[in-house]
Amino acid sequence: MKKNCSSVSKLLEKYFDREVTGAERSLVEDHLFDCPTCRDALHSMESLRNLIKSPVEEAVEKENLPWVWQKIEREIRLKEKPSWWEGIRDWLDITPLLRKRVLIPAAAVAAILILTTAPLLFKKTSSYPGPSVVEYVESQTYDVMIYELENAKGTIIWLFEGPDEERSTS
Amino acid sequence: MRRAVFVVLPVVIFFIFSASVAFAQVQTRIRIIQASNVGSNIDSSLRDVHGQLGSLFSFSSYRLLKDETVALSPDQPVSIPVHPGRSLELTLIKQHRHTAEVRVQIKREGTDILDTQVRLSPGRTVSIGGPKHGQGTLLIALSRP
Repeated sequence: MKKNCSSVSKLLEKYFDREVTGAERSLVEDHLFDCPTCRDALHSMESLRNLIKSPVEEAVEKENLPWVWQKIEREIRLKEKPSWWEGIRDWLDITPLLRKRVLIPAAAVAAILILTTAPLLFKKTSSYPGPSVVEYVESQTYDVMIYELENAKGTIIWLFEGPDEERSTS
Repeated sequence: MRRAVFVVLPVVIFFIFSASVAFAQVQTRIRIIQASNVGSNIDSSLRDVHGQLGSLFSFSSYRLLKDETVALSPDQPVSIPVHPGRSLELTLIKQHRHTAEVRVQIKREGTDILDTQVRLSPGRTVSIGGPKHGQGTLLIALSRP
């Protein structure tokens, strides 16, 4: 073994697996040209690979790979679909807000608040009760007429002061 | 600590929401107008009123005497002087999601000459008119901004 064998031997496996850079490959090949020990080491690696490769390839040829792959796919599909209950449990586990220790007090507080304030909220936010804009009109001084404009953009309450003063209308 | 935050936060949000609904005020715009047949001037801010009344009345002039926006709170009357001796009093009776029921009283020397209750909704104007004012007629336009 030459002087720089130890540094090249580190690269030898990478070289064997074709994972070296161009510069590294040149370095290793130059060294192998001069160093029979490292050449032997490389040959040993090749022999070992061949020894393993042949039986593996024979076994693969004997095996029915499409059938094996179908089996794997079926297993994957079964694992991907947890039951709805497991899904809910998983979700609860990852949502700190809904953990039982937090959920119960929060739900109790929310229920109390809803019960105490619901009448007020419903009273204040009920929907529009009817189409009439004028609820009532009372006047002891005037005659009153209500005009609802056709475009629904306005309502006019007109007060007539007396027969002589109605003439302002067209 | 984290648990306390999760409990307290919804409570605070709920109270803020409730308070905002319960104590909301209704902004109401009041425009006092003199409509007449003297001249042909129409104030630019009264185009909408003229557009509504033009088809019914033959006034050629619309003059803005007062333009005021008041915040009405439930059962708290707001009084605005309209004309020497007259005043307009508005009281918020009920507040719905999109409308507000407002009682409108026109008083002359403390006595009601008109008492009505109207529903005000955004984009809609309720106009009250008829009483004489100078050479023209007094108009009160109520709307929600």
